[in-house]
Amino acid sequence: MSWLPATAGGATPLDRVFGLRPDLYEPFRAFYAVFWSDRLLEPVVLELARLRVAQLLRCESEQQVRYAPALDAGLTEEQIARLPDWPRDSAFTDAQRAALAFAEQFVLDPHGIDDDCRDAVIDHLERPGLVALCEALALFDGFCRFRTILGVEAPGAVQTVPAPAAAMSLA
Amino acid sequence: MPARHPIRGDVLALQPEASARFWRLYGQLWAHGVLDHGIKEVARLRNARITDCGY
Repeated sequence: MSWLPATAGGATPLDRVFGLRPDLYEPFRAFYAVFWSDRLLEPVVLELARLRVAQLLRCESEQQVRYAPALDAGLTEEQIARLPDWPRDSAFTDAQRAALAFAEQFVLDPHGIDDDCRDAVIDHLERPGLVALCEALALFDGFCRFRTILGVEAPGAVQTVPAPAAAMSLA
Repeated sequence: MPARHPIRGDVLALQPEASARFWRLYGQLWAHGVLDHGIKEVARLRNARITDCGY
């Protein structure tokens, strides 16, 4: 339960916190959903980047969520469990590795993203993919901090949910 | 010829639908809300300084 003295209604802990600002929550959901609805990035790459950001920021509520398109595309719980060791683990493809290296540096120090790190993402995802990854990482990074600071409650167990949609609650 | 916005015109144009939705959220954040503009601007500039973002 969030420490906030009053929360909004809604089906999920994020609804009950972000729902306090419905004028922002609605366009936020529309923006968030576009990464899945328009498939701006391959769903496993997107999910691995989201979960790695959540791990680095120790955001429990974000780490407990799985978006179904990534699982449908082949991502497994075993691979997610191995995510912290991705640099030494052959379970990750070159495209996933490029995105994960970029994601980690994005969180830790964006000035540390050098030409090689950037170009590896472009090689695998092309330039629109790089832009999409930056936008997605900005959302993941910012809203892990949002969840942590406002005490958005984490589910008691991992939960798989459909792809985000503008008209739906967000887990 | 009008100058192009350096972010909107070049970088974000590579993802036009995401860009449109971002600007709708960002516009809502600035145009409405319970925080006055001075607080939002100070927070924005402080965040830019901490992350050494010259833009």
